[in-house]
Amino acid sequence: MDDKLSREEVLHVAELARIAISESELEKYQIQLKQIIDSVDKIKEVEVDDDKMLIANWSKETTLREDECGEMLSPKDVINNAPRHSGNYIEVPVVIGEES
Amino acid sequence: MSNYIPTIGVEVHVELKTNTKIFSNSTNGYGEMANSLTNVIDLGYPGTLPTLNKEVLNLAIKAATVLNCKIRREMHFDRKNYFYPDNSKNYQITQSRTPIGYDGYVEIEVNGVKKRIEIEEMHIEEDTCKSTHRGTKTLLDFNRAGVPLIEIVTKPCMASGEEAKAYLEKLRELLFYSDISDCKIEEGSMRADANVSIRKNESDPFGTKAEIKNIGSITNVGISIEKEIERQSKLYDNGETFKPQTRRYDDKIGDTVLMRVKETGNDYRYFPEPDIPFVYVTDEMIERVVATIPMLPDERRKLYIEKGVPEVNANKIVQNRSLSDYFNELLEENTNFKIASNLLLGDIAAYLNKEEKLITETTLTKDRFLELIKNMEDNTLTSKNLKDILNKILEDTSSISDIIKSSGIENITDDSAIRDVVRKVIEANPGSVEDYKTGHDRAIKFLMGQVMKESKGSANPKMAMDILVEELQ
Repeated sequence: MDDKLSREEVLHVAELARIAISESELEKYQIQLKQIIDSVDKIKEVEVDDDKMLIANWSKETTLREDECGEMLSPKDVINNAPRHSGNYIEVPVVIGEES
Repeated sequence: MSNYIPTIGVEVHVELKTNTKIFSNSTNGYGEMANSLTNVIDLGYPGTLPTLNKEVLNLAIKAATVLNCKIRREMHFDRKNYFYPDNSKNYQITQSRTPIGYDGYVEIEVNGVKKRIEIEEMHIEEDTCKSTHRGTKTLLDFNRAGVPLIEIVTKPCMASGEEAKAYLEKLRELLFYSDISDCKIEEGSMRADANVSIRKNESDPFGTKAEIKNIGSITNVGISIEKEIERQSKLYDNGETFKPQTRRYDDKIGDTVLMRVKETGNDYRYFPEPDIPFVYVTDEMIERVVATIPMLPDERRKLYIEKGVPEVNANKIVQNRSLSDYFNELLEENTNFKIASNLLLGDIAAYLNKEEKLITETTLTKDRFLELIKNMEDNTLTSKNLKDILNKILEDTSSISDIIKSSGIENITDDSAIRDVVRKVIEANPGSVEDYKTGHDRAIKFLMGQVMKESKGSANPKMAMDILVEELQ
């Protein structure tokens, strides 16, 4: 088993996280990320009877909320916590390409 | 261009008609001031927790039922992780592993051929905030963040833009009639994406897929799919290949344009949402929801046609929910349904459009409408006369017969009165009478016109024609 991730794997994770990394960081993360994954892999050794245990709190049914309106924030409060705003809109740098 | 076999699958997002958002109690609304319909949950503040809206579950059960889906009894939510400013939590809460509905279908008809469009699955998820791109800036409005959605995914089972269009029309009709969504494409409460690929033979594997996103109308879904099939065919004809990609339909140029090339598919790193425990759907919940489903469009059409309504009229009535609900109230009555449908779709619909009113906002109660139909059926009222008194019929509360009397336009059904008019016309138009007698059939139309003119439109047309023919002998 390799003791580090490939350069491509690290760069792919960086791309998903939208972060830029330097050459020295890349080499460091190849090793560190691999160590984290190996530690997490230990969880796989635990024997569980039911897959559900790994999903969510299944022992108790979720609480449902009635469809009734409650208090909301004012637009002023909303934009106060944003680094930049334009009128009542929160302003961020344009992101090209992806549209969901 | 060679012939290829197209394969099309459609994904539709529909906003649910609830009072509040899916995981918070802020208002689910459209067209309000930017960032005025939010709270800390919608904005994804640290430490906030989602609680599922009961009505979202009810509407999703309802949608699964009208789309003939099987309903999952035990489910959970998943996180779909991605970094993009339209979602401040950096994940969207959705259902990946346990969609509430699966294995459903919708029946469509294209050029007289019926086909089942199979639904792979439908799941519940939250909408993202709305982003508007302005030069180097993107403006965010979180009013839409957390609006409940269902996403409905078909199998790749459609073969043309026409089929996709028919499917979307059917879907919209079903969801609208069951009060699940208002399905307004122009306001984004219904959004469609289409996956298109082509191949040479049935036995070949599926071709490379292009996804057409955010198409602005059902008509454009049909057009954009046909355009995409054409584009791919030309490429293959020239021996070219292409990468899986996302395209959008540009209404101005009438064609699809490239948005981005998908590399190896999206790496969303789904994992179960730990903040929402399991959701259980019981028989009792399903029964309660099913009881609220009104009569659906196909059943309405069938009933109307059985009652003697022409098919084209039946289809038109069903396109208008309030007219159709009104028409349903008549079904128990013994009346002439063909005349009823003609009245509703003709002068009455024109009035409603002009006044921007619903039929229920007029004074035309069921009893008055039945009286109106009767007056039309026995020719007491002609369609020409109806136009003159229509406003009174729809705005007054007096009986139809009183309106006819007071307007002085009562249809002359008195034989001798009509005969007098006919004789007068024959005497005044010897030329036309001669024409008729020498075999010019058109002359009778002219004479009939004169009779109606002379009687100021009040002669019963059928009687007048009979008497005219008689007098011309």
